[in-house]
Amino acid sequence: MRWRDRERFIFFSLLPVFLLLAVFVVLPIVFSLVISFFNYNPLSRHPPFTGLENYRNLFRDPVFLKSLANTFFFVGVSVAINLVLATLIALSIDLVSRLGIRNLFRTVFFLPTAANIAAVAIVWSYMLDPRFGIVAAVLSTFGVNVQFNWLGDQNLVMASIITLNLWQDIGYNIIIVLAGLESIPRMFYESALLDGADRVRVFFRITLPLLARTMLFVSVMTIISYFQVFTPVMVLTRGGPNHASELIGVSIYLNAFQFSKLGYASTMAVTMMVLMMVLSLLQMRIFRANWEY
Amino acid sequence: MRSGMHIRRAGIVTYLFLAAGAAVAMFPFLWMILNSFKTNKEILLTVPPTFFPKTFYLGGYLKVLFEAPFLRWTLNSLFIAVVTTAAVVFSSALVGYVYAKFRFSGKKTSFLIILATLMIPFEVIMIPEFLVVSWLGLLNTLSGVMAPSLVSAFGIFMCRQFCESIPGDLMDAGRIDGASELGIFLRIVVPEITPAMSALTIFNFMASWNNYVWPLIVINDVRKMPVSLAISYFNGIHAVHPSYVMAASVLVMLPILIVYLIFQRQFVEGLALSGLK
Repeated sequence: MRWRDRERFIFFSLLPVFLLLAVFVVLPIVFSLVISFFNYNPLSRHPPFTGLENYRNLFRDPVFLKSLANTFFFVGVSVAINLVLATLIALSIDLVSRLGIRNLFRTVFFLPTAANIAAVAIVWSYMLDPRFGIVAAVLSTFGVNVQFNWLGDQNLVMASIITLNLWQDIGYNIIIVLAGLESIPRMFYESALLDGADRVRVFFRITLPLLARTMLFVSVMTIISYFQVFTPVMVLTRGGPNHASELIGVSIYLNAFQFSKLGYASTMAVTMMVLMMVLSLLQMRIFRANWEY
Repeated sequence: MRSGMHIRRAGIVTYLFLAAGAAVAMFPFLWMILNSFKTNKEILLTVPPTFFPKTFYLGGYLKVLFEAPFLRWTLNSLFIAVVTTAAVVFSSALVGYVYAKFRFSGKKTSFLIILATLMIPFEVIMIPEFLVVSWLGLLNTLSGVMAPSLVSAFGIFMCRQFCESIPGDLMDAGRIDGASELGIFLRIVVPEITPAMSALTIFNFMASWNNYVWPLIVINDVRKMPVSLAISYFNGIHAVHPSYVMAASVLVMLPILIVYLIFQRQFVEGLALSGLK
């Protein structure tokens, strides 16, 4: 009697979740793979099977290769700046002893992260406007009268997107690194200071090693999430000008839903999945290696 | 404990650095708010641009509130966020509890499947997900927007971590008293994992409110748009009316920023927990 109640409970708890996961995650992954071997578009009834042709075309497609290069550049630069800046800010906040001020800074630095990213991107597009934007106005008060077209110039657009994304997203890492700093027992510092170590030594000998796991977690999560950045690019430039800001997610979207090349876009998606799987495996390796202490 | 005088000694340089950073973090909000009270003419034609509005203009807000279906857009977002968050929090708590405290066949494999879905970027499955939703006849509906977001692998994982620390005696006591399994979950387990559930509530609400790409794929009809899609649509049709766009941006950000400011303690704690586990 009781046994049956328990089994029923387990069964009916898991059933809806697994149904939804099957329909909206597992099945789509299989679909992605299948579609990537077809010349699939939603209007044709019998899409022709093309085998590996999509894959062959993909790695000869200059636009895709550019978006891949853009993505790696974007992730590399953003993650590096993010980690350094987030750590610096978290360390600085951790130096503040008044609890109210600590919390105030924490709230302020996280505010951009909580705001709606589409709206944020739009506000930035007005700030960056070469004619009436505030950035141009500030530059001209300092005597810089060149009209920088921050979003329309293919040499500047990536820098603009990286800056916007960092402004919006860095709050997450500040909070997590700060939490990591707060979990380091105070007495470690006290004994080091009693032994006459200076601040810089304390940071490199005590703080950083004790923070290693947090930093590792933060860098892995940031890398994975930055490979998926989509909204600011889509709202501001749709990958332009001349594909200069096209990231891989945007490329997939444009091919699938603007050009109706669902098969080809799925090929990109599968490529991205493989890339993310390799990254995840590397992450697990590193995590396991660091699990010990 | 916390006050360790020798350690926490923020000098003037530290404060200057933090203040500069805080100014950068806040500036776009300030600029947006100030511009939302300027007229379109003032924004577009004054050289050099004014910082404070010359006159206090409310036309942008009136335009957004009364001539665009702004209330409708907000209600769409609210509906999507409330339904998906309720579903995610309930299902995550339930399934997390089952995985933490029960033994059954296939447990390990099925949990690995859940974890594996965590690593799949959305861009990878958005095309087939779009096809599934279209086959189900849910394109251009709010149900279509919500359907893939009713469960969360991250939520399940987080709740399982919390449930593992509940002592088994608590549940056994309930069983001896003759409570049903569902009753034990609702009356004993849920109160124990409230911190995890409230953090999850805020994460999910925020993610749902700010989601852009999936509604972009599913929704065509202007009246069915959630706010993040609507603001970019509104920006598109009012490119020469920055005052309206700034007012709309303020109104889109306001609800979620209020939610964050009210629940920030739970939010920060939840985020810290998810990072430290």
